[in-house]
Amino acid sequence: MSDTAQLANDAGSRDPATGLRAVRALRLLVERLEALQVENARTAGWSWQDIALLLGVSRQAVHKKYAGGRGLLRREK
Amino acid sequence: MLERFTNEARQAVDLAREEARRLRHEHVGTEHLLLGLLGRPETLSAQVLGDHGLDHDQASAAVTRVLGTSPVGDLDADALESIGIDLSTVREKIESVFGPGALDRDPHRDHKGVLVSGRRIMFTRRARKVLELAVRESIAMQSGDIRDGHVLLGLIREGEGLAARIMADAGVDFPSLTVEVRRRLT
Repeated sequence: MSDTAQLANDAGSRDPATGLRAVRALRLLVERLEALQVENARTAGWSWQDIALLLGVSRQAVHKKYAGGRGLLRREK
Repeated sequence: MLERFTNEARQAVDLAREEARRLRHEHVGTEHLLLGLLGRPETLSAQVLGDHGLDHDQASAAVTRVLGTSPVGDLDADALESIGIDLSTVREKIESVFGPGALDRDPHRDHKGVLVSGRRIMFTRRARKVLELAVRESIAMQSGDIRDGHVLLGLIREGEGLAARIMADAGVDFPSLTVEVRRRLT
């Protein structure tokens, strides 16, 4: 990379707008990826508990987000 | 729902999905069904619409004019690039597992409140209505199966979607088109 390009690159990375845009894009990407993977796991018969464990969140959190909070009082595997 | 659809009718529906994907739209609407019907020039519906002055290129241009080709929810590849993530590589890997367009849409809640991934492109309420009307047309005509012509009749009967507007703008006369399609279906 030329010095000029490096300078431009460094300047860009300190620009809050660039940084915030990147965070937002990454969040959207993560949401899409997570929904695909959770759906795939459920189709493969995984329990909410197992999915939550691998995602590093509580079973209630993943259930509320993906099952729309239905059936929380029911016993689920 | 598509069990009694003939190959031509199914192809039109599949083409509608592809058109929506190609245009990077969030849903399959009546306008994509219209493009699906026009996509194969040898079909009854494409021929009749052609006789009435509407072809695929014209309809496609009209759809793009009204809706554009890039939805708001499109992932920001440049922003991801700035932190070293190559979206095209991610997309390639994900699509190889989950199919084309798997990353193109945000997840959404279905009618049961379940959060569903954007993997499959969904039909709008209106587009589903068109397919229902196609089935009803077929039953009323005692056709025995559902052909692409019935789907076209469904589009006309529904009458309010973007497809109907595009047909009307192109000067298509609905009553005479209906008569013509019905005649060629029997």
